[in-house]
Amino acid sequence: MEQAAVKRSSHPFRQKYLLLQCWGSTFLRAFLNISEVKMSLDHHMMNSSMLATSHPPEHHHSTAAPGHGHETGMMMMAMTFHFSYENVPLLFSGLTINTPGEMAGAFVAVFFLAMFYEGLKIARECLLRKSQVSIRYNSMPVPGPNGTILMETHKTVGQQMLSFPHLLQTVLHIIQVVVSYFLMLIFMTYNGYLCIAVAAGAGMGYFFFSWKKAVVVDITEHCH
Amino acid sequence: MSFFFSDEVVLLFDFWSVHSPTGMVLSVLVILLLSMLYETVKIGKAKVLHRTMLAIPHSLSQESLAEQDEGAVDTSHGQHGTTQGRWFLYHVSQTLLHVIQVVVGYMVMLAVMSYNAWIFLGVIVGSALGYFVVFPLLNVG
Repeated sequence: MEQAAVKRSSHPFRQKYLLLQCWGSTFLRAFLNISEVKMSLDHHMMNSSMLATSHPPEHHHSTAAPGHGHETGMMMMAMTFHFSYENVPLLFSGLTINTPGEMAGAFVAVFFLAMFYEGLKIARECLLRKSQVSIRYNSMPVPGPNGTILMETHKTVGQQMLSFPHLLQTVLHIIQVVVSYFLMLIFMTYNGYLCIAVAAGAGMGYFFFSWKKAVVVDITEHCH
Repeated sequence: MSFFFSDEVVLLFDFWSVHSPTGMVLSVLVILLLSMLYETVKIGKAKVLHRTMLAIPHSLSQESLAEQDEGAVDTSHGQHGTTQGRWFLYHVSQTLLHVIQVVVGYMVMLAVMSYNAWIFLGVIVGSALGYFVVFPLLNVG
């Protein structure tokens, strides 16, 4: 082996942490967009002539009234977790769950949507790794401990802007953003069944899709 | 819909209704800890991944990859029994951590959705504290 130690400056675990940050940044964007999302949800609720939810809404927003401008429109939306399968609006104005059968179908659909989201995340990572072009290695001497000289190797990877892999990544990114917002909106219905479907689907999707990824990561991260 | 300062909020569950300053302080503390937990779980996942890659010998993973390339998905080899079992346990724990991260993340989002400014500040401070305390642990060990 070489006598000089080659120290990787692109620490693989920092990269993993940055990937985890992507999830956090999705939520940050959600925070910034929440007011518009809630307004459109209210309009949908008022258009579809639905009764108040099974949950008595009168004490939820009246206690939070000081400083609040809107009272009437917000009464229809639950602000605490509840389990119900009647008059549950789901994302779009035509989609309302009224029977246990429809709730079961919605549970399965949301479960698979969450699995799809996890799979899409892993697939984008794989595609990115496969399409990395123009990998440049720059080596520079760096003083190390005990007066030795270490060779520090910088690895830079990039993509061309108008190449097909990058365009594909962009399209998949848009799909990922939209699906993540849909999942957030589904969770925002505060319906216990649907929230459990989101969590379970995310867990199952991570379990299946990250299984293969963990093996692939091992190979690529350890090869010199 | 805008942020407001108030001592009254109903947070996430029916029984969690706050009417007094004391209750609000406690609620903000709980949300702060929840936000810190979110950051901790993120680091926890990275550390478990680190430990997985240390525990799995290079040859085993290469062999599993070759198996997958050939299309044979047989992971119950007797000779790799213990290592495969250990890797499976690592993966299950990663999945559990992932589910916890998803649920806690959504809970924090719903707490912020209450539009209570104190709760929001609690989330921000908790996130900052969590990151500050836990991030250095990423490079240790």
